[in-house]
Amino acid sequence: MLQIRNGRDFIGGLGMILVSLLFIWFGRDLEVGNSFQMGPGYFPTMLSLLLVAIGLIIIVQSLVVMGKDEPAEPANWKAFGLVILAPIFFGLAMPGLGLAPTMLAMIVAVSFASKYASWRRSVALGLFMAVCSVVLFTRLLSLPVSAFAPWIPILGGAG
Amino acid sequence: MDIFSDLWLGATTAFQPINLAYGFVGCLLGTAIGVLPGLGPTATIAMLLPITFGLQPESALIMLAGIFYGAQYGGSTTAILINLPGESSSVVTAIDGYQMARKGRAGPALATAALGSFFAGTVATVLLAVAAPPLAAVALEFGPAEYFSLMILGLVASVALASGSLSKAFAMIVFGLLLGSIGTDVESGTPRYVFDVPQLYDGLNFVAVSMGIFGICEILRNLEHEQERSVGVKKVTGLMLNRDDFRRIRGPVLRGTALGSLLGVLPGGGAMLASFAAYAMEKRVSPNRAEFGKGAIEGVAAPEAANNAGAQTSFIPMLTLGIPGNPVMALMVGAMILQGITPGPNVISDEPALFWGMIVSMWSGNLMLVILNLPLIGLWVRMLTIPYHLLFPAIIGFCCIGAYSINNSVFDVFIMAGFSVIGFALSKLRFEPAPLLLGFILGPMLEENLRRAMLISQGDPTVFVRSPLSLALLVAAMIVLALVLAPSISRKRDEAFTE
Repeated sequence: MLQIRNGRDFIGGLGMILVSLLFIWFGRDLEVGNSFQMGPGYFPTMLSLLLVAIGLIIIVQSLVVMGKDEPAEPANWKAFGLVILAPIFFGLAMPGLGLAPTMLAMIVAVSFASKYASWRRSVALGLFMAVCSVVLFTRLLSLPVSAFAPWIPILGGAG
Repeated sequence: MDIFSDLWLGATTAFQPINLAYGFVGCLLGTAIGVLPGLGPTATIAMLLPITFGLQPESALIMLAGIFYGAQYGGSTTAILINLPGESSSVVTAIDGYQMARKGRAGPALATAALGSFFAGTVATVLLAVAAPPLAAVALEFGPAEYFSLMILGLVASVALASGSLSKAFAMIVFGLLLGSIGTDVESGTPRYVFDVPQLYDGLNFVAVSMGIFGICEILRNLEHEQERSVGVKKVTGLMLNRDDFRRIRGPVLRGTALGSLLGVLPGGGAMLASFAAYAMEKRVSPNRAEFGKGAIEGVAAPEAANNAGAQTSFIPMLTLGIPGNPVMALMVGAMILQGITPGPNVISDEPALFWGMIVSMWSGNLMLVILNLPLIGLWVRMLTIPYHLLFPAIIGFCCIGAYSINNSVFDVFIMAGFSVIGFALSKLRFEPAPLLLGFILGPMLEENLRRAMLISQGDPTVFVRSPLSLALLVAAMIVLALVLAPSISRKRDEAFTE
């Protein structure tokens, strides 16, 4: 009876096969062509098939070779969620709010991913980063970003 | 002699006040991030890349290179003083370096690391200056078939040198190659995997991808095992080495430099592997091997020389062939493209001031680092007292602005966020991210050369074995593959990584 000896690799192998199937599925309309005149689909399709094969090998290995016993790590979902959401918030808020408010809000929020965060220090860090980034990026490097964007009354559009 | 006029040209470029200043900034930044665990050269260079757009190409590349080798210096300082390697390349330095520090010999350990690095950096720079032009001349003769075979060799070698499972490293390469195929197909103009998103027509942005995988993902991993750093450092006194020390480090530094230079050139190699290999070798050949692990000065000298040599010589394939061997070199290629320079064998003849300026700046940068590092050690140690919970929000902030400023669009910020999730999932499943990035960079080049070669040969795949050069490269790839697959070697390889 086959049994999974290395669960992590088993999932990893399955994941690789899933990735290659996605590439095959979304590339199904690309012309493959032949080896003389390769179409745009040739290279990705071949690679996807190769990845399926490698995924299968990883799965076979996970059935044969014993995985190292590692203690399960407790997942820190709060930190994980905050750190992933921070750039997404930045991307959504930046065009409307402008650099300074976005940076301040993001830094304060994301700092609570750490268990050592405190409100006072987080706000101080957020203000510091907001000022620094505005000075550095809009003044010194003159990137086309505004410190305050239309959603902010009065200040918006001026910086 | 030609090389002297070339070096003179390089010196006039590198010693321009503006370039010296940027080189200094690079070294300073590099040392700082080298000292700070959780922030590596890859993420830093990715963050700063968009900013360098406004600089002269020479200044930009000199600064970015400075960050890379500066990090090798900085990483060793904390490894020795508080047993906390700032970079992966100084992990082995901590073993004996920290023991020396505990015995009150922190000064000589730091001096050994700095002098060993400086010696290795000088040798590797000379090697780069001597070896690069002839290599580039050979590379000019390369056709598509040779380029294809060379990249295959590079990818195979990077798998062989990666730690962990072989099949998983291969999977990462292929995954990276697939990600590289996203965007408009160069030959036919057909969009691939773009889902009608206009920003994807140029492909995924490399800087955003690497910031996600190396910058944000690293933060996620650090927050999982978050703990307060307690920094208790005794005052460092007596940096001088005595005569006995000098006698003992001479051999290890030479061997480390040689091994590091060699491993740095290999794709997938570079600083980390060089330091591990040098330590393992020294442990075998040193007459003082009984002392290893208990504060042997050889155990500091060899890996420190090797990691700096490896960092320096990893520029060779990037500058002569346009093929990056590690993620940092891939970013350097990106920086060149941003500046409108096509990386490849033509850089030496088309941009001599840039090429030789960079080489000379590496040497002057190494000199600056020695001067910077030894007297300023107190400052670097104080940097460690910045708690991580204040540091990581700032890193995320800079990553966001960095990603935004690539194209002044929020799209790249989302790409970065997406790849931080992918990178985190991969690291949980114990897949190495570095081969993925390498595949991602080389993917388009690999495909283009494959298609061109097959078009020229009218669909005859023997074109790759008919050219002697291409055949030799493929045979080399097979040998590398066979070596890693051979059981005895793979056992040794595991040993080398666990040591």
